Amino acid sequence: MAIKRAMLIPLAVAVAAMTWVGVVQSKPKLGQVVTVRVIRAKVMRAPRFIGPVAGNVSRGQQLTFKGAKGDWYQVTGRATGWIHRTNVMDKRVNLSSRPGGGTGGASRSEVELAGRGFTPQVESKYRNKHPNLDFSHVDAIEKTELDPADLESFVKQGGLSLGGTP
Amino acid sequence: MSRLRVLIASAAIMCVAGTFSCKVNLTPQSLAKAWKGIKDARKDLTPENEYYVGRSVGTNLLAKHDYRYLDGDALRAGQLEGVTAYVNRVGAVVSMAALATRRKGDRPSPIGGWHFVIVDDDTINAFAAPGGYVFVTKAAIMAAKSEDELAAILAHEVAHVVRGHALGTIKKSRWAGVAKSTLDATVELDEASLGKLTAVFENALDDMVDGLLVKGYSRKTEYEADRVGMDIMAHAGYDPSAFVRYLRTLAKTQHTGSGGFKATHPKSSDRIKKLEKKLAKMPKRRVPAIRVDRFVAATAPLRGGPASAGDELSAKQRR
Repeated sequence: MAIKRAMLIPLAVAVAAMTWVGVVQSKPKLGQVVTVRVIRAKVMRAPRFIGPVAGNVSRGQQLTFKGAKGDWYQVTGRATGWIHRTNVMDKRVNLSSRPGGGTGGASRSEVELAGRGFTPQVESKYRNKHPNLDFSHVDAIEKTELDPADLESFVKQGGLSLGGTP
Repeated sequence: MSRLRVLIASAAIMCVAGTFSCKVNLTPQSLAKAWKGIKDARKDLTPENEYYVGRSVGTNLLAKHDYRYLDGDALRAGQLEGVTAYVNRVGAVVSMAALATRRKGDRPSPIGGWHFVIVDDDTINAFAAPGGYVFVTKAAIMAAKSEDELAAILAHEVAHVVRGHALGTIKKSRWAGVAKSTLDATVELDEASLGKLTAVFENALDDMVDGLLVKGYSRKTEYEADRVGMDIMAHAGYDPSAFVRYLRTLAKTQHTGSGGFKATHPKSSDRIKKLEKKLAKMPKRRVPAIRVDRFVAATAPLRGGPASAGDELSAKQRR
């Protein structure tokens, strides 16, 4: 038991250190190009999820990093404003608008970043094997989105806080 | 390998690395990667992979319900209306809180966004596919009494997605037949490799759909989704005690009938006991009347009432 305890103490220290590494993430340099990774995202006028929108961006589009506030990046380019850091990759990458590069092959950049695994090619083959499955439903559902300005009213009216959101 | 041995092996790696990191060029990042490899033996799917898995799991789940869901005409036109618009508003607030409370390894930002669909089913149930698809039955919403209780249902499902629970139902053996070269470095897949991957994909989907609708997750996984879900809804500003109130309602019905959440979730009374301990350590909140009123108004059509004015959003179709 004494040995087990002795081993667990450095483990706890190491895990704490790694948690810190995971939480304290690096940010791009000023002027660096970042690439939108999600299919579509809002660039907001202020660093928050709700409220007025400065513009829309889509996967593969590139923006220039101008600064950061918490989890939000200030960007310029196709839209100027604030985008949540999880919506972009901190580098210039050639990504197609469809994850994995459509039904054909993916670009080398995409493969290097995303690995191979399950891609449009695989989905296409799966759909051919199961013609009874109707993917038009998810195709349509994916296109729905909420207006962040309406959502702001909803949050305010309901007395919601959104916790730590700036 | 037993958990203790894994821990000891990990500790040994950390100790050695911590002492000799300069000489052997080990960084905290590489250590984190090594730890992840030890901790998570299953193949780690990328967000792009998860997106395609989610689309197919979602389609299979809808097919099992004969593609019957509420506000279907609007949804099929890529728009949010009626009760579905309201549920998506609550879901959006919850998913933003999930992003704000994320931990390392979480998946709170699906590349296709979050989408909440009301399945036209009289059995109380809710389930979530990887990649941000959350399905809640009409009966599950009707069993709720306030927006906060609805937020609890959605937060529990969002927690499943964020923690990657559905992906965890893929049997490890599924990956055995796939060559590493197929998964990593090739740009163009030949027909044989594509066939292998598709077979793995097909079997993985079966694992997940079976896990979501028939077998359910492990009790441990469900309790984790309860804990994480309660944190998420509280961060959004909802009253976390609404989670327990909703489970009490479910507990009254759990002894009757079969299927739905009864088949796929632990006993509500057990979940309540665990959540009450957590709740005791959280700040007390109240549910303002507006969140009861607007819930009742927005969900009136489920009870045969009229659609409330203003429950439609300017959701747009983007192509």
